[in-house]
Amino acid sequence: SAGTGALAQWVLVELQGEVEPRQSGDLAGSLLGDLHYTCEGIPVLIVGHHILYGKVVQLEKPFAVLVKQGGAPQPSPTEPHGHYTVTALIKTKLLFKTRPKPIITHVPKKV
Amino acid sequence: AAVRSRAEVDATLQTAKLNPAELLPAVQCLSFSPRAGGGECCLLQLEPGLCAELEAGRSLIIRGEKDEHAVLCSKDKTYDMKIADTSNMLLFVPGCKTPEELNADPASCNIIHSQIAGFSKNYWELRRCRPKLKKLRKLLMEDPYEGPDSQKDQTSTFSKYTTEDLLNLIQASEEEILHHLQVIDACQIEGYWRILHFDYEMKLLNHVTQLIDSESWPLSKVPLGVCLEELGSLEPREMIEHILLSYGRKYVDDGEVFFEMREDKICRAIAQMLLQNAVKFNLAEFEEVWQQSVPEGMTTRLDQLQGLALVDKSSRPETIFLLKVEDLPEDNQERFNSLFGIRQKWTEVDITPYIQDLCAEKQTVGALLTKYARSSTLNGIKVYNSRRPIS
Repeated sequence: SAGTGALAQWVLVELQGEVEPRQSGDLAGSLLGDLHYTCEGIPVLIVGHHILYGKVVQLEKPFAVLVKQGGAPQPSPTEPHGHYTVTALIKTKLLFKTRPKPIITHVPKKV
Repeated sequence: AAVRSRAEVDATLQTAKLNPAELLPAVQCLSFSPRAGGGECCLLQLEPGLCAELEAGRSLIIRGEKDEHAVLCSKDKTYDMKIADTSNMLLFVPGCKTPEELNADPASCNIIHSQIAGFSKNYWELRRCRPKLKKLRKLLMEDPYEGPDSQKDQTSTFSKYTTEDLLNLIQASEEEILHHLQVIDACQIEGYWRILHFDYEMKLLNHVTQLIDSESWPLSKVPLGVCLEELGSLEPREMIEHILLSYGRKYVDDGEVFFEMREDKICRAIAQMLLQNAVKFNLAEFEEVWQQSVPEGMTTRLDQLQGLALVDKSSRPETIFLLKVEDLPEDNQERFNSLFGIRQKWTEVDITPYIQDLCAEKQTVGALLTKYARSSTLNGIKVYNSRRPIS
């Protein structure tokens, strides 16, 4: 069920493939990267040694972000039993589909 | 972890050989919140209309017992839920700004730290479905109401269900549940939803039709007040009013409440009463007895029995037997299996009353037949049979 008050509007960021933490360990707490926009409004995400170019997409079917009440981890991802609260709506996504361009920081000198 | 500075951002831009002059001044440094990945958040893709409902402050409810597939219910619709996997990573970021939002706020500082609340590789997809209402009737039929004189209610150990109970147990929206309760002529007795036992229902109906006959009222103008007066000593007033509401259309004329009796429904009920006593009947004999059993002024017609009884035109003599659509399975494939088990070949006219309720929004009976049956021609008539051999 919906919480009281107006629903927050979040944004979805869609990335191809996996995101791995720089150091070993969880993603939690770690930095993902810097999100810029060009003057034309194209999102540019710098993640590690990669530059990702994307686009802003208005979702035809918005998402609701559900937060499970009770705190217990999901017993089975295929059946959503339990109580959920709608925390936010997502109507916009930043879609990064193009292959990342690597950032070359060191050019080997010719011998 | 130290918070990224603007100087560090600019250094990264330089290394990446990006020209800051081609970018908007503000950067958003994204990092994962400490609780991201805990599996607490998940994404639900919304069908048209649901987003507006949520924004209007209305609730969506997920319903289903452990042995049922979960459904999502809005105020008036029901949806199947299915997990959709994507090969991409979906990050949800509160407070992430779009270019328009950044441009609209020129005074915003040039570095914003945003936390990624969660991430997922899948989300819930919704598909509108028929509300699962068969269980509603099944629950209420556990203990049909037999009248105030019945000893059963006092000693009954069966569960009785309030509206709240039904909302928790039935996989359908509240409006769909309340509407169906009306369709099956359920009534509230002492706060619990009850279905009348058929015999008790017929007893009540009989009181009313006999009174109509003895008072010589027109079937279209049966006064509530007099019914309650005359029959109030025989049955509870709520029950008299309930039977009138079930079998008549209420209206007010000059401040008084009347009922226009529903001929088709009354004839149908009397047919059920006759048919339930045997496996099948000689059609001609049945039609005669049936006409004689209905109130004066009413005319019986076989089309009143759609979804209630089936005529066997292949037997000599022709016969008729009780077959109630509400007794058949709710699942599409199971329903068709059941029907083809009863009769191998069906005409569209005969089968339609038994599959009509399976039609999804904007789906036709023809579409169902194309999907679940195979057609052929028998004696020049198009008939449908099972797609697969029935064991």
